[in-house]
Amino acid sequence: MANEEMKNKLKSFFMSDLGVDGDVLQFDTPLFGEEIGLDSVDSLEIISFVDSTFGVSMTGVAKENFQSIDTIAAYIESHKA
Amino acid sequence: MTPDERRCVVTGLGVICAVGNNVEETWKSALESVSGIHKTTSLDTKNCYADLAAEVKCDTLDQIDAPEEKDRVSKLCIKAANEALADAGLSNFGDDQRVSVVIGSCVGGVLSIEQYHQHGRDAAEIAKMPIASIASQVAETCGAGGIVTNVANACAAGTISIAVACDLIRAGKADVVIAGGADSFASVPYSGFLSLHALDENGCSPFNRCNGITLGEGAGIVIVESYEHAQKRSAKTYCEVLGSGVTSDANHITAPREDGVCLMEAINRAVKNSGIDKSDIGYVNAHGTGTGKNDNAEITAFKNFFGEDNANVSVSSTKVMTGHCLGAAGAIEAVFSIKALTTDTVLPTFPYTEEQSAALKEKVGALDFVQNKARHKELKCVLSNNVAFGGTNAAIVFSKVPGEVSAQSAKAKKIAVTGLGIVSPLGNSKAAYLDAVKAGKKPESASVHSTIALEDYKELGIKMAFYRKLDNLGQLQTVSGMRALQDSAFQVTDDNAKDIGIIVGTSEGGLGATYDFEELIAEAGNAGGSAFKFPHTVYNAAGGYLSICSGIKGYGVTITTGPLSGLDSIGYSMNVIHDGQEKAMMATGTDENLPIITEFAQKLGVAAGDVVAPFAENEGFVVGDGSVSIMLEEEDYAKARGAKVYCYALGFGHGRKNVKFGKLAGSDEALDKAINDALADAGLSAADIDAVCGFANGCKRIDDIEKGALKRVFGDKLATMPLFEVKERVGEGRAGSAALAAAEAAMLLNGELASDNAYFIAGDGSVTSKAADAAGLKKILIISFAAGGSYSAVVFGKNP
Repeated sequence: MANEEMKNKLKSFFMSDLGVDGDVLQFDTPLFGEEIGLDSVDSLEIISFVDSTFGVSMTGVAKENFQSIDTIAAYIESHKA
Repeated sequence: MTPDERRCVVTGLGVICAVGNNVEETWKSALESVSGIHKTTSLDTKNCYADLAAEVKCDTLDQIDAPEEKDRVSKLCIKAANEALADAGLSNFGDDQRVSVVIGSCVGGVLSIEQYHQHGRDAAEIAKMPIASIASQVAETCGAGGIVTNVANACAAGTISIAVACDLIRAGKADVVIAGGADSFASVPYSGFLSLHALDENGCSPFNRCNGITLGEGAGIVIVESYEHAQKRSAKTYCEVLGSGVTSDANHITAPREDGVCLMEAINRAVKNSGIDKSDIGYVNAHGTGTGKNDNAEITAFKNFFGEDNANVSVSSTKVMTGHCLGAAGAIEAVFSIKALTTDTVLPTFPYTEEQSAALKEKVGALDFVQNKARHKELKCVLSNNVAFGGTNAAIVFSKVPGEVSAQSAKAKKIAVTGLGIVSPLGNSKAAYLDAVKAGKKPESASVHSTIALEDYKELGIKMAFYRKLDNLGQLQTVSGMRALQDSAFQVTDDNAKDIGIIVGTSEGGLGATYDFEELIAEAGNAGGSAFKFPHTVYNAAGGYLSICSGIKGYGVTITTGPLSGLDSIGYSMNVIHDGQEKAMMATGTDENLPIITEFAQKLGVAAGDVVAPFAENEGFVVGDGSVSIMLEEEDYAKARGAKVYCYALGFGHGRKNVKFGKLAGSDEALDKAINDALADAGLSAADIDAVCGFANGCKRIDDIEKGALKRVFGDKLATMPLFEVKERVGEGRAGSAALAAAEAAMLLNGELASDNAYFIAGDGSVTSKAADAAGLKKILIISFAAGGSYSAVVFGKNP
């Protein structure tokens, strides 16, 4: 899957499942910052989505990998089977 | 000492849980350190990392009247209630208006939601779904004809129910209250806690491994009786129920505050309201769920609260026996606490190895965490506390001595209405509602709903990081609540955050969200639940979100009885203020119209095919929704901050005549009683009332009850007395409409609403309508109803 397509999929998920406004969400926007405000409950949802959509487990993965759509996509890219 | 008329005693106990089907069996198991946690046999555990539960094994649950009309949760509750009533030497009350039922629950009839979704969408399941059915069916079973309500504060609901029971008795509204909680084990909570990774795959280990909870199920019932009533009938008494404390974290929808300060405040209030010393508490039955977040917050709260004054108080969690029974937890733990108190026994948490004991000691210091075996300890008072989703904290004291309970200490205070927040299908502000009235707007179709827009959040300064988490019900409640604060110019600060509380009234609460969650896991399996969506299934999430958004940290309770919950929130808030518990209260009515809610109304044959007006003698009504929040304040407190006063809340009344839950027919005269009760509470007579804000919605069966009662109470006066009906504009919005009727009364009394369309009922029953002026209206009666035969009435007046 092209990297761009993966990032767009992640973005759609943040919008539809975690209630994030699309117009403020860029690929490098900090997800756990003040504006988007994701928390530990949201990270459970991200892990579940990434696992079921891309087949990559992010359980127990260091926090910096969840910083933005860019970093999540990079983690998926480097851990795809 | 607490004066006799304020003393509440326990005269009966009933319980059913994984370690026993009655008090005797359960207590024996507790003394023998028996755990009821086993591999679940009732749910699909495919791909699920945890498969343990503490399930009830009982084959006599169906030995009640019409079991097919009741969800498992009601059956569990009725079984425990019957045991408690027999224990108290009480039987059918024959609709005695002095006997109430207050039941807590978290997931209510969730098994019936599952049944409906997976097995043919049978209309017969619908009336079994809402939490409101539980107390109503208990009342119907034993003929309790007083206030019948449910507390829906998730895992703290059982404790709050007993607290509310005592508040009712001390306010003189009841002599006997059947109080407690019930919940059943089901896929929705199982899948939800799995998705939060909050289940311990090895079984919960509170204050020890702290890897998560294990779900249980069951019911606990405590018969709370006024001391004088119990004396009169020479009843056996277990103990006194002293003070309680309820607070809100205003922090997170699922996680408790790490510093435990709001839990500590709840405990502090309970002890202070009891008029006892901290050192009088000999044992604490902790919430002790087994999650690190909960257990650590509790340890912090206990250490800080008891400090040097009672450093070695005994503490334990009994959830290792019963599992976490959610809304039943506090009630079952109340039964444990009362048995512990009256037999001078402290119960254990288990199993602890020597190493684990040493590690615990390190963590808890001097606190005496009772491990592995129950033991004898002389006890004077016992504290039980619970914590819930939505940030609710609750604590209550059971005692051998009457204490010095503070109640009704502010009874003489006048209560002012100082702010309104209106969200309805007509728009999301008071201004939008006033404009719609002026323009004579009617519902656009037979199913209408409110829609929150980004502009609403912008106007209220609510950030995306917050509002993105809200479900529909939470959106409606947050916006109406924040608008009410804004309208009353009430700034919540660190100094006053504990002076103000919230009571949310709702008919269906999180029922729609629960249905959505059920739909999700029916497709994805129990392992496929959503951690984001699960919190919305609890009815008190909406109130929790409002508390988080506003910073309100005082009393926080969600009640669910049916449409009248939007008036009961006002009545109970008046009582909280009169009890001196808070200076200000936000009373709300909130319900949503999701597509599934309209489907339920259609299946039940109460949804109109087209737009209908009140008194249209139709078979159905327009399905609507809305959230209305009303600020109530002690008059002096409001005046001291220069608040604008709309009007005054003068009286609250209630009436009930038991009919089957889901029905109203045959209960008509209970509405007369509610009205007369409210008038008496306000020190008024029917002649003093200038107008009525009613509940007519176009459905003949409902409207005729209103017409009949008003005719009996007001006689010929009804032909010239304006009857305002908000549902002509917003449809049947259940609790949202009941609170809107109160808001309409407030706006008529202060003149913001100069006139509105009004209905007049002639002697022959014929109805006409015309615009009526607000000028000259000084006292307005507001009424509402609930399936099962309950009615509420509130009186607002221009002057105190």
